[in-house]
Amino acid sequence: MFYTNKEKYMDLRFLLPNKYKQIGLVLFIPSLILGILFMLSIETSIKVPVFAFWYEEIFRPTVLMGIINENIYNELLAILIIISLGLIAFSKEKNEDEYISRIRLESLQWAVIINYVLLIAAIIFIYGSPFYSMLIYNMFTVLLLFVIRFNFVLYKSRRQMDNEK
Amino acid sequence: MKNNLKVERAKKNMTQEELAKQIGVSRQTINAMELGKYYPSTLLALKIARLFGARVDEIFWLEEGE
Repeated sequence: MFYTNKEKYMDLRFLLPNKYKQIGLVLFIPSLILGILFMLSIETSIKVPVFAFWYEEIFRPTVLMGIINENIYNELLAILIIISLGLIAFSKEKNEDEYISRIRLESLQWAVIINYVLLIAAIIFIYGSPFYSMLIYNMFTVLLLFVIRFNFVLYKSRRQMDNEK
Repeated sequence: MKNNLKVERAKKNMTQEELAKQIGVSRQTINAMELGKYYPSTLLALKIARLFGARVDEIFWLEEGE
């Protein structure tokens, strides 16, 4: 990759090339579908021996730093969702420049704040096993909120542009 | 901060898109700057001034109380 002088000054941080946004999208759609199915208790079993730092289950001996036999379907699904959202979130826009970088930063801040507001609301108003479900969704909502917010602000500014010349 | 961007652009008969391409930013950036929604970096302001053959403070200037 050749870096021009321009790119040295722009606020690119750690962004992936634009094509990863499409890859992320392609991965996200099936993972979202599988995720929704999983919430409806539709899953398949992939039982394999895995290495665990910490395994604890009632009526079972605790395992620390050992191999256990587990159904890793939900683990794979969670990782797939996180990675696909991450690819979408952290890929450069086609015309990434300083203004878009600023929108990116503000969207990130917005997403984190809103995520904690939602989390606090869940803490206060939801109890028992549904709260546990909320915590699971919370694994994904920061990235999801960011992607939605960032792309929405970009879309709004693009639309506003068509009124000017 | 106020700016003269639209006027300078009109002097050179440039569209936002053309200006954006010459400077190396997106058209949204130009639009946001003209609307006062975004203050350019020093680098960007200098590039714009150079392109228009003007001084930076002839294109961007501080308002009262800034």
